[in-house]
Amino acid sequence: MPSRILQIASGIKDLKIRGAGRIARAAVEALKIATLEYSGPRDLASFRKYLASVAGILLHTRPTAVSLLNAVVFVLKALRGVNTLNEARDSVLRAADEFIANSLNALSRISEIGSKRIKEGSIILTHCHSSAAVGVITRAFKEGRVVKVYSTETRPFMQGRITVSQLLKQGVPVIQIPDSAVRYIMHEVDYVLVGADTVASNGAVVNKIGTSQVALAAKESRVRVYVAAESYKFSPLTLVGELVKIEYRSPEEVTPREWIEKHPKVKVLNPVFDVTPPEYIDVIITEYGVIPPQAAILILIDKLGWTLESIKYSEGIFEDAEKLVELM
Amino acid sequence: MLGRLTGSELLFRVLDELSELAENASEDVFVKNFIVQFENVLNGRPASMATINALRALAEYIFEKGVTGLSEYIKDLKNKYDNALWKSAEVASRRVDNGDVILTNSNSLAVKRFLKTLRDQDKYVELVVPESRPGNEGLLLAEYAESLGYDVRLITDSATRFFMKDVDKVFVGAEAIAANGAVVSKVGTSLVALVAKEARKRVFVIAPTAKFSYETVHGELLKLPEGGLELLVDMEKEALPEGFRARVPLYDVTPAEYIDAIATEFGIVAPQAIPILLRVIYGTYPPKVEPLSNLLRKLREKYSLGDRA
Repeated sequence: MPSRILQIASGIKDLKIRGAGRIARAAVEALKIATLEYSGPRDLASFRKYLASVAGILLHTRPTAVSLLNAVVFVLKALRGVNTLNEARDSVLRAADEFIANSLNALSRISEIGSKRIKEGSIILTHCHSSAAVGVITRAFKEGRVVKVYSTETRPFMQGRITVSQLLKQGVPVIQIPDSAVRYIMHEVDYVLVGADTVASNGAVVNKIGTSQVALAAKESRVRVYVAAESYKFSPLTLVGELVKIEYRSPEEVTPREWIEKHPKVKVLNPVFDVTPPEYIDVIITEYGVIPPQAAILILIDKLGWTLESIKYSEGIFEDAEKLVELM
Repeated sequence: MLGRLTGSELLFRVLDELSELAENASEDVFVKNFIVQFENVLNGRPASMATINALRALAEYIFEKGVTGLSEYIKDLKNKYDNALWKSAEVASRRVDNGDVILTNSNSLAVKRFLKTLRDQDKYVELVVPESRPGNEGLLLAEYAESLGYDVRLITDSATRFFMKDVDKVFVGAEAIAANGAVVSKVGTSLVALVAKEARKRVFVIAPTAKFSYETVHGELLKLPEGGLELLVDMEKEALPEGFRARVPLYDVTPAEYIDAIATEFGIVAPQAIPILLRVIYGTYPPKVEPLSNLLRKLREKYSLGDRA
């Protein structure tokens, strides 16, 4: 196996390669290298097997990274309906290039599509930091339709400060508010715009803790809620009933260690994400277009190449990538 | 200084200071200081109705009787409020079942007394406490609850909806109760109440009737002060990008429909029924109150103080 593939795999595993988009593109790059440098037996069956083993290595690096799984499946689906080794290689390389180009283009497509949904004179509230959301806001601002942005500070990690810095750099008037002030400020707001960590197959959005109560407060005030998310954030695993695991991070992000040690009966809990139900979301803006959250499965099947068979099988996918290739 | 005290703490602080002054200062000096104090509260804590109502009562007393017997009157006011607060806490405690998981917001004295009352009744509850930015008063409440022997989960404000499914009941304090039953409380409380309603959890406000805002009966809106940037940012430690701006609300309004009941010293009432309760207490509604500006003007005239005391 080419050493560059192993390098990429360990880069993803050791978090040297981070961020949904970067991980996805790195994995596709690895599959591309594998195809270009394939030197095994000159028959289709052997090539499929080889590609499956590379896919298996990649998938094992970050089993919870949805973008990784989607990227690998997108490339593997190129094996569908090919008859010869050459056809297979060409098809895989085309798919890999297409994925990388799409992915690089996704954020600017999302800004373009999303900004059209912002009417003139708008005040936007955003939670945490999302490159996709910042992209949409910036574009709508440059087109003259955003008058003000409220950004939540987003305890405990204060990603709101990143949002403020990035928007200020673009000249967008932005005001930081504490997370607790979301309902207080909501009556001034026209749109809530957030990113996503993962989109579940029913359209529920897993995103930074607090997103779901921002969305709830928005619904109460009849403020539209937009989620900006690249297609590779849609999770096929949720279709077979798997729940998105919510990670708890260190309590020391919330309060200093000395305080925690002094208060043994106080448990400091720091969940990273929460789940916003689809009924609180008006649309999800993807690079392919605007969809109602309930149509998430459309993106999974039509754009990411999942088939009902492969999704059904996807629970065991990490144990047996070869099986996955067979299904494609 | 005024900013960090809870509504009840502010009342006690102001009454203690005035009581001491009443004993030691001449009438003129006292009245001058009283007016300054009153105006400070109106400007700095315009929604802290318990204090404003007490100052109103004092102003009426001074206008009628001068400062004779004033320090007794102040002590009496303080005791009445103190008892009403304990009584409200006790009323609230009856709505708690052993083993309940209770979520609260900020560091209300009413809630602290409620927790103490539960402890004295040998009721055990578990607490979920958001840190309550700005100010992080949740940490103080968590410390207090721990000192009573309760288990506490401290969470970020953003995690309220995440944990609401584990909660049985929500109990919060109040700065003010408006004529329509809406409640002014620490910022974030209205979001907590909304999240509780969504999850079909009951929301109780613990507040003596002294927190009622008489001005709202006559159409006035409660003024909610906002704080400065320094409440969010440690200016010494953090370098902010140029042009960084923040809005830091300190209070918000929870609409009556998100509140199941208010626990007062007279018992549990629906927030919308507070006017009925006041009608029973005072025998008339709307209660006859003189506008605060009139009251202050009359005092100034009586003591020949100019527009600025």
